[in-house]
Amino acid sequence: MQLPVLNNVPEAKSGCAASSCGSTDSQIDSLPDAIREKVQNHPCYSEDAHHYFARMHVAVAPACNIQCHYCNRKYDCANESRPGVVSEVLTPDQAVKKTMAVAANIPQMTVLGIAGPGDPLANPEKTFETFRRLSEEAPDIKLCVSTNGLALPAAVEELAKHNIDHVTITINCVDPEIGAKIYPWIFWNNRRIKGVKAAKILIEQQQKGLEMLIAKGILVKVNSVMIPGINDEHLAEVSRVVKSKGAFLHNVMPLIAEAEHGTFYGVMGQRGPTPEELQDLQDSCSGDMNMMRHCRQCRADAVGMLGEDRGDEFTLDKIEDMDIDYQAAMEKRKVIHAAIQEEMDSKRLEKAQKAEAQKQAERMTTRPVLMAVATSGQGVINVHFGHAKEFLIYEASPSGVRFISHRKADAYCSGDISCGETESTLQRTIHSLAGCEAVLCSKVGYEPWEMLEKAGIMPNGEHAMENIEDAVMAVYREMAKAGKLTAENAPIRASA
Amino acid sequence: MAVKIIESCVNCFACLPVCPSNAIYEAKPHFLVDAKKCTECEGAFADFQCASICPIEGAILNSFGEEINPAGSLTGIPPEKMAEAMAELQAH
Repeated sequence: MQLPVLNNVPEAKSGCAASSCGSTDSQIDSLPDAIREKVQNHPCYSEDAHHYFARMHVAVAPACNIQCHYCNRKYDCANESRPGVVSEVLTPDQAVKKTMAVAANIPQMTVLGIAGPGDPLANPEKTFETFRRLSEEAPDIKLCVSTNGLALPAAVEELAKHNIDHVTITINCVDPEIGAKIYPWIFWNNRRIKGVKAAKILIEQQQKGLEMLIAKGILVKVNSVMIPGINDEHLAEVSRVVKSKGAFLHNVMPLIAEAEHGTFYGVMGQRGPTPEELQDLQDSCSGDMNMMRHCRQCRADAVGMLGEDRGDEFTLDKIEDMDIDYQAAMEKRKVIHAAIQEEMDSKRLEKAQKAEAQKQAERMTTRPVLMAVATSGQGVINVHFGHAKEFLIYEASPSGVRFISHRKADAYCSGDISCGETESTLQRTIHSLAGCEAVLCSKVGYEPWEMLEKAGIMPNGEHAMENIEDAVMAVYREMAKAGKLTAENAPIRASA
Repeated sequence: MAVKIIESCVNCFACLPVCPSNAIYEAKPHFLVDAKKCTECEGAFADFQCASICPIEGAILNSFGEEINPAGSLTGIPPEKMAEAMAELQAH
């Protein structure tokens, strides 16, 4: 696979999926109606929905049946945010209580997932007991599960029984030789199996499980971890294979590897991809597959909107004291969900009309630009630069505005050359916006304003509370008018 | 004749359901093996079941007190490399 050349304009590529091009098409608009219906309020499956709806994970599944080189079960820590990390493991009973407490207090929470901290299907009793009770006691919550796939074929029947219509399988490869570099061992048929043989069995079970789920009409999303030099060039093939078998969404996530996590990749110095490498791979897969770009790689006990974690408000001792009237909560949730849905529908319609108008307007020939946006949801610019914990990255081009990714503002620093320990939080934040030419937020202070300008990133606080895509397009037009968008003054792509 | 779970156990539950003798039980601060029940899987399986799924190197000892999964055998991280990384971390 050849990665696209720098500054390749996606619209020029053949077969570019409607999902990834232009302001007309949100990431789920190209899906068949039946699937869109199912995912329109699922923050993990729909980019649109993640601005409005929240999710939670309950950590009922501590055991795992495989080892991945990016995971370490030993150093789980409250301050880390990555899959496989939790503060407390719950019993199914505690998990049900917690879910209902969250649903009552965060009514926009629509989805309950079981994602670990081990593998949910390696803990079948706890996982299915939680699902069974929730499907009875909280029928307005969507249930989903995330698995490595090894025990999936044996669990498909049971999953279908509990009304689980969303399953995520982590598939990092379809080639056992590559798999052997990602998975050191699996536990299979009462033995620990290593190397290529282990990877071969895991891949077979993942693919078989995928086919069985599709045959049952269960929606399947595939997660892949992008590991430079290991599977980066292979993931376009993975994307093709899983799409041909019926997976509806592919989520390529960057490897998280720090020595202090004690993982194989962290300790051995395996690097993660740069934002540019990740975007290039996602773009190269998007011709064949519907790509997810808004994943926050959340913890196995995360609670809230995708960018946030409100787990601290719902610890075991706190939910113990909460008295939940779920029937009343359900009524309230119904009203709130309907209102959100109405707002989303009208925005979608408005967007389509604007896009139509834009098609009629004179075609610009300017180059694409990346912009960072500070938002806490509702699809508007509503966060102060200094308060932003993350930025959403959008690309503006003559064909419209498209969502690219998110970047953490307070990204931890491992003290390497590109991110020295002396760097202030502000400098790190600006560093994390490398490649962006503007940052849109509700307000920017004087000091960051100057530093942003110096870094070649234009601060902009003029579009507070405005719709993100409209604001990005407005700034893009201003830049075009000012003559900033000719090919000659394109920025050199940073490798940060 | 029995295996032993020691303090590096992270309480992940993986071993509990795979034990053919129901010898493993949840305890604080970590899981334990009932030495009277443990058969070291003799007659049932070729390998110790608990030690075949345990993700933590050194957490389970055989009846000679030896680590069934010594350092580096599961993660593939050379022990000296791990020591280096942890020393670096301590220094911060």
